[in-house]
Amino acid sequence: MSVARAAARDGAAGSASDLLVVDRVTCRFGGVIAVNAVSFGVARGELFGLIGPNGAGKTTLFNLITGLTSPSGGRLRYRGEDITGLPPYRVAERGIARTFQNVRLFGELGALDNVMIARHVRTHSGLVSGVLGLGPARQEERATREHAGALLALVGLADRPEERARNLSYGDQRRLEIARALALEPELLLLDEPAAGMNSGEKRALSDLIRSVRGRLGLTILLIEHHVPLVMDLCDRIAVLNFGELIALGAPAAVQKNPAVIEAYLGDEA
Amino acid sequence: MATFLATYDFLLVSMVLAAVLALTLYLPLMAGQLSVASPGFYALGGYIAAIMSTKVFPPGPGLYPVPLVLLEMAVAAMASGVLGLAVGVPALRLRGIFLALATIAFVQILGVVALNLDVTGGAIGIFGIPQPFSSQIQYMWLAIPLLLVSMLFIARLERTRTGRALVALREDELAAAAMGVNPTHYKVLAFTMSAVLAGAVGAISAHFINTWNSRQGTFDTSVSLMTFVLVGGSRTFVGPVVGGLVLTALPEALRGIADVGGLPGWLAQFLRDGRLIIFGVLIAMGTVFFPHGLITPGLLRRLGGRGRASAA
Repeated sequence: MSVARAAARDGAAGSASDLLVVDRVTCRFGGVIAVNAVSFGVARGELFGLIGPNGAGKTTLFNLITGLTSPSGGRLRYRGEDITGLPPYRVAERGIARTFQNVRLFGELGALDNVMIARHVRTHSGLVSGVLGLGPARQEERATREHAGALLALVGLADRPEERARNLSYGDQRRLEIARALALEPELLLLDEPAAGMNSGEKRALSDLIRSVRGRLGLTILLIEHHVPLVMDLCDRIAVLNFGELIALGAPAAVQKNPAVIEAYLGDEA
Repeated sequence: MATFLATYDFLLVSMVLAAVLALTLYLPLMAGQLSVASPGFYALGGYIAAIMSTKVFPPGPGLYPVPLVLLEMAVAAMASGVLGLAVGVPALRLRGIFLALATIAFVQILGVVALNLDVTGGAIGIFGIPQPFSSQIQYMWLAIPLLLVSMLFIARLERTRTGRALVALREDELAAAAMGVNPTHYKVLAFTMSAVLAGAVGAISAHFINTWNSRQGTFDTSVSLMTFVLVGGSRTFVGPVVGGLVLTALPEALRGIADVGGLPGWLAQFLRDGRLIIFGVLIAMGTVFFPHGLITPGLLRRLGGRGRASAA
């Protein structure tokens, strides 16, 4: 319902009921404006695509939302609360999880450990109770292990919990990153080019995975992806960035026909 | 056996204490932080024990009571922990080599302060620190349990929520933060744990060495500890322990070789006195040929696997 309503108000700059509101967010690196006064809202439960040519500012926008970069201007609101300029771990605590364009797993650690680390914000054992192995800490440790194991199974890595992350294939690393992000039990999941480097079979499986976790966990997903069929197929709405500016926002079919988008992708002569 | 223990009593206890000190460098490294501040906390712990045992509880006839040594260790550990927290919060904003430099500066500052205060005995230091044991080898009663407890603590820590947060920071600080780990909190925690342990070792050492002055816990110690960890191994706590034990014994072994005779004079001299040069060369070679140290988690897994296989 909310998705349909959001889709209906193409181009609108976010309403109070939106889960995430990006409000005139700007990011400058020296003289370069990476993101220029971008505004949009992502509704609860929506699968929102973010596309655009290389260097359009998509990943910068993810970094701004997750607190890895501070915006030069504008506000970010999540569940109606201002999260502008919060450090990354605070953003994660609030329920925003992400994957990285250039996979950032804990390479020397096993697949299961990678996921267990991300249970951090959902667990509470302290130093002393953990080291002494007191009852509650021991129970929490077991629950953490089980939860992480279930997530590995969800992404198809159940058979290799001890495999070091750096030894996994590229596609498996991307899936492991998704499992790790899901371990935070996020409400908003940011996926940065999750299909990069995957073959078409893997891409189809990834589509199914994204759709199924979204349905099962009630996630809101923000997706950066270059593979256009995947985006068109999955997303409720799509925002198009070019040179840091939002040039189009709307349903996939409408965005595809938008002259500004065609020009951005194909150049003037098109 | 008895003569061996009697001959090498000082060396054996030194080896165990060095292993514990090496662990104080390993703790911040678990979180990816190269800090060489522990000699400073080691020095502080030593002064606290020296002052308490000579001035606060002046020695009576006979042996100094062991419970008082334990009390000094506790006080030294707490004081070091508090100082560690105070230094760690600003210092751990620095990264990589800048943190290492800041901690070197910290060690130097503490040394200069100790050199110029009356309470620390100035340049002469504090001597005649009372002995809780009738022979040096009996310091093992303090050193061995401290080493075992530290090893057990770290082994357990690696399998807890806190330990995983530390290791996540070492592997990728940015990704760890994006997973909800507060980098500053856990870096300061690791740094403070290291300070606590170093302070406790200092308290034992003050009694063990019998005298304490500003030449204890200097930059030389920092270099030695770094060698223990880098050569022994920085990815599992077994590495620093083995590094501390072996490399503390190494100069004695080299001296033994030098004394065999038949060597040119300059070589014998080098083997006797070249400890820091040899450590320097080991660090340089280590960073090139075995950057994670000689003992790695992979090596331990292989050894463990073989052990299980032969048991089965």
